[in-house]
Amino acid sequence: MTAESLASVAAHRRPAFSLGRWLERGGVFAWLMVLPPVLFLVALVGYPFFYGIWLSLLNRPVAATGTFVGLDNYINAWNDPVFWQVVLNTFVYTAVATVLKMVGGLGLALVMNQDFRFKNLTRALLLLPFIVPTVLSTIAWQWILDPAFSVVNWTLVATGLVEKPGPSWLGNPHLAMASLIVVNVWRGLPFYAITLLAGLQTISPELYEAATIDGAGTWGKFRYVTLPLMKPVIFIVTMFSVIFTFADFQLIYVLTKGGPANATHVFATYAFDIAMGGGQFGQGAAIALTMVPPLALLILAMAIYLRPSKS
Amino acid sequence: MTVERRGFHVRFLKLWLPLGVSLIFALFPFYWMAITSLKTNQELYSRKVMPLVVHNPTLKHYIDLITETNFLEWTWNTFIVAVMSTAISLIFGAMLAYPLARIRFAGAALVSFAIAATYLVPQPLLFVPLADLINKLGLGDTLTSVILTYPTLLVPFCAWLLLGYFRTVPSDLEDAARIDGASRLQTLIKIVLPLCGPGFISAGIFAFTLAQNEFLYALIFLTKTEVRTVPVGAVAELVRGDVFYWGQLMAAALLGSIPVAIIYSFFVEHYVAGLTAGSVKG
Amino acid sequence: MVSVSRASRRDLLKLTALGAASTLAGPSIVRAAPKPLTMMHESSFIPPYDAHFKTKMAAAYEKATGTKINYEIVSVGSLLTRVTTAAENGTGPDMTQIGFNWAFLFNEKFVDVSDIADEIGKESGGWYPSAQEAVVVGGKWKAIPFGNIGQLMNWRTDWFKQAGYEKFPETWDELLEAGIKLKKQGHPFGFELGHGFGDNHGWLYPLLWSYGAREVEADGKTIVIDSDETARAVDYCRRLYKETMLEDCLGWTDVNNNKAFLSEQISCTNNAESILWAAKKDFPEMAKVIDQSPNPKGPKGSFAMLNPLCHAIFTHTPDHKAAKDFLRWVMKPEQCGPWLDIAVTYYQPFLHKYDDAPMWNVEPKNKPYRDTLKDAHLPGWPAPLSRAQSETIAKYVVVDMFAKACAGKSTKDVIAEAKAQLVQIYKTA
Repeated sequence: MTAESLASVAAHRRPAFSLGRWLERGGVFAWLMVLPPVLFLVALVGYPFFYGIWLSLLNRPVAATGTFVGLDNYINAWNDPVFWQVVLNTFVYTAVATVLKMVGGLGLALVMNQDFRFKNLTRALLLLPFIVPTVLSTIAWQWILDPAFSVVNWTLVATGLVEKPGPSWLGNPHLAMASLIVVNVWRGLPFYAITLLAGLQTISPELYEAATIDGAGTWGKFRYVTLPLMKPVIFIVTMFSVIFTFADFQLIYVLTKGGPANATHVFATYAFDIAMGGGQFGQGAAIALTMVPPLALLILAMAIYLRPSKS
Repeated sequence: MTVERRGFHVRFLKLWLPLGVSLIFALFPFYWMAITSLKTNQELYSRKVMPLVVHNPTLKHYIDLITETNFLEWTWNTFIVAVMSTAISLIFGAMLAYPLARIRFAGAALVSFAIAATYLVPQPLLFVPLADLINKLGLGDTLTSVILTYPTLLVPFCAWLLLGYFRTVPSDLEDAARIDGASRLQTLIKIVLPLCGPGFISAGIFAFTLAQNEFLYALIFLTKTEVRTVPVGAVAELVRGDVFYWGQLMAAALLGSIPVAIIYSFFVEHYVAGLTAGSVKG
Repeated sequence: MVSVSRASRRDLLKLTALGAASTLAGPSIVRAAPKPLTMMHESSFIPPYDAHFKTKMAAAYEKATGTKINYEIVSVGSLLTRVTTAAENGTGPDMTQIGFNWAFLFNEKFVDVSDIADEIGKESGGWYPSAQEAVVVGGKWKAIPFGNIGQLMNWRTDWFKQAGYEKFPETWDELLEAGIKLKKQGHPFGFELGHGFGDNHGWLYPLLWSYGAREVEADGKTIVIDSDETARAVDYCRRLYKETMLEDCLGWTDVNNNKAFLSEQISCTNNAESILWAAKKDFPEMAKVIDQSPNPKGPKGSFAMLNPLCHAIFTHTPDHKAAKDFLRWVMKPEQCGPWLDIAVTYYQPFLHKYDDAPMWNVEPKNKPYRDTLKDAHLPGWPAPLSRAQSETIAKYVVVDMFAKACAGKSTKDVIAEAKAQLVQIYKTA
């Protein structure tokens, strides 16, 4: 393609070929920019990806040769009740956590966009949950969620609302899922807020002034100025949050490992247990790859929404 | 007077209350980590004393962490790895994002889909073939192995985030520069990039944090104690069977994250300032 | 066969090359330093145990033979991931600690060590047969057993005494009775029922077996989980949970019961020796009222879990002999004895020579762990080693059968679900 355009330049244009001019052509410039990172990603991600698809079609125990079994692994997953529980868990976990992070993050960004003392310090402090290594912060949460030590239980018991030992945050299947969501939100919210805050800062104050002149109140300014301008950033952050929450592993693996009785097992933990713990690579790959269609749809939506602008 | 009072009430509701609640939610676990790291084991396990304060503070866990493990070495490794992979990710991310945001070119849709499709590769499973690749390249047990692999997790996000920011830059600015004779590259570097500071900081914070948090690749690729990062090192040495060294783990969590928070606070300040200047010009 | 002939051909080549080299270089040839060897290990719950290997033993070996020994530690949950990657890619450490049925899983990637296992056995009074259950695959020793990390009953003598028990209950039924009394007095039990890696299986398999139930017959094919015996074990477990335990146990992983025991929330759990060990270090007063006892008896007797720590050599190691020599050296009483002593019976040796070793008198409360060695079994027993065994563990089939019953599901349903899973697992594996 580039060679062709080069030839056409040489043949049809009167001025002699200029490298500088050629580089200024949109397509050429774009591809020169895009090519190195694309090659990098293809090299490091493409191979494992196709290898994974191949694995999912094999009966491939660890440290042994595989035999081709077609779609057997997918059919087995389809017939596995635990798999369906995993699907449900993953969707609940992702949906609830994402909504909480999105609403909370936008709210917090709006709050932090005001002028107040110790603004920078506050912003940095709020980022702390995102900074601390997940493995270690989750270990702290494990202690916080222990009924005997939990501040929540301690307060509830002290105020006489419940009897000792109080709610079992990780032992009760429903509470366990809720607890994981809270920890996930705790970890993800700050980044949401800071990213959206950065977006808010790019909105020119003149637009708000103009809106005020037009008689818009606080809500009007939010509805007609903030929201439309923030849409791309909100969209991207949400999509990525969905992707990362969907594939979340560390947090769940440290806190419950999918227990009690699979109540918090998600795609990543289940696939990992089967592939690593059970030594069944084929089955693990198939389960991990069933994550792909819903995620691919999301990504497609993102690609369409953000396709290159006309300008 | 009444107006002032009302103003105060509004400000309380709009600012201090939500901010206070968020701060408590965000920081309580850190308070918990801090007191856990300062308690003796006897106090830690005791349910008789009030758990929210430290009765007999001790620095033993911190001293043990620094003298008995290679914590400082791990911190340094983590820092190098995070800085390098963040730099790579931001550069690659910008290289992908700018053309996609500004230029209509053949194959753009494919490229944008392909970047995000990177995330379809289920990491918890496919590190096995990746490990094979790293070994064939002779990079096992070097920090380079993770410096090269982390960007696979970071570049797509950085690219998409920057894409959003690039598109907020008014294109008149660029057109004006181009008419003045600036090349595309010059326009990008001199006009667009400075206006996208917040985007870079946001993407950078994301990349840096993920890089220093990452566990699985670090576990597989970095096996010698000397080249480990904080999460892998701390878990290997402080989670021993069914006994956790709680105090030291929490000390590691705090020592590992507070310096980063300080660096971030500098950036946060910087980008807010830089931005105001930029928007005035625009 | 193929590999043998290839190896001997390589040896031959090496020999000729060496011969040529020596004739060329003459008497002045200097032997190159032997290649270093790397041993991978889980970080031991007892730090001095790791330190002893890293500093004392490795240094001694290097001094004696010139071979440098590296000791690489990984966290407990990560060992299998590392072994898998090393075996799959054929690179990484030369030797590794293994457990459970890994000798079977990685059969093709581990060196046959039957010869040195034989020598070691002869030298040190013979092997416990249970050791062979874990490492002998197709008649060949694929690893050298080092010690068992047994899991038994840990209990508070003072609280049991208050409830009228001088001794630990002998049967599961008596244990239930005791637990009901103790819970009323504010001292509930706490047994792991969540997705941990050991303490859950550690008591649930023995419970299952002691009621005469099992997942699979010894043929490794016939699924027999759907039995009256299983139903009785499940019913018992539900009662034990509801009437003696904390609600939180359903979500526990291995660390929780240690924490709960040491923070005096529970009066009894099933665990390795780590609770008593930690108590002696940090809570000497509590340590005095902790005791350890064999698992209670069911209708078919008392059982225990086999949790072996063994050492295997990867086939990708360039010099198998050097690695074997090292393992052989480690297992000599002069090395092995002091190393075991440091952990004071936390690892219960599979060699009869140590049956009455002085370390058993350091903490006599640990003796029950030695006494259960002879009839401890791996999960999946009495079926032979298999991949299905690993998958059953990874999917927590048995643990979740009990856990679901505790959470309120009917015995019939939980058994039917476990059966369906087992049929699927044993069909594909």
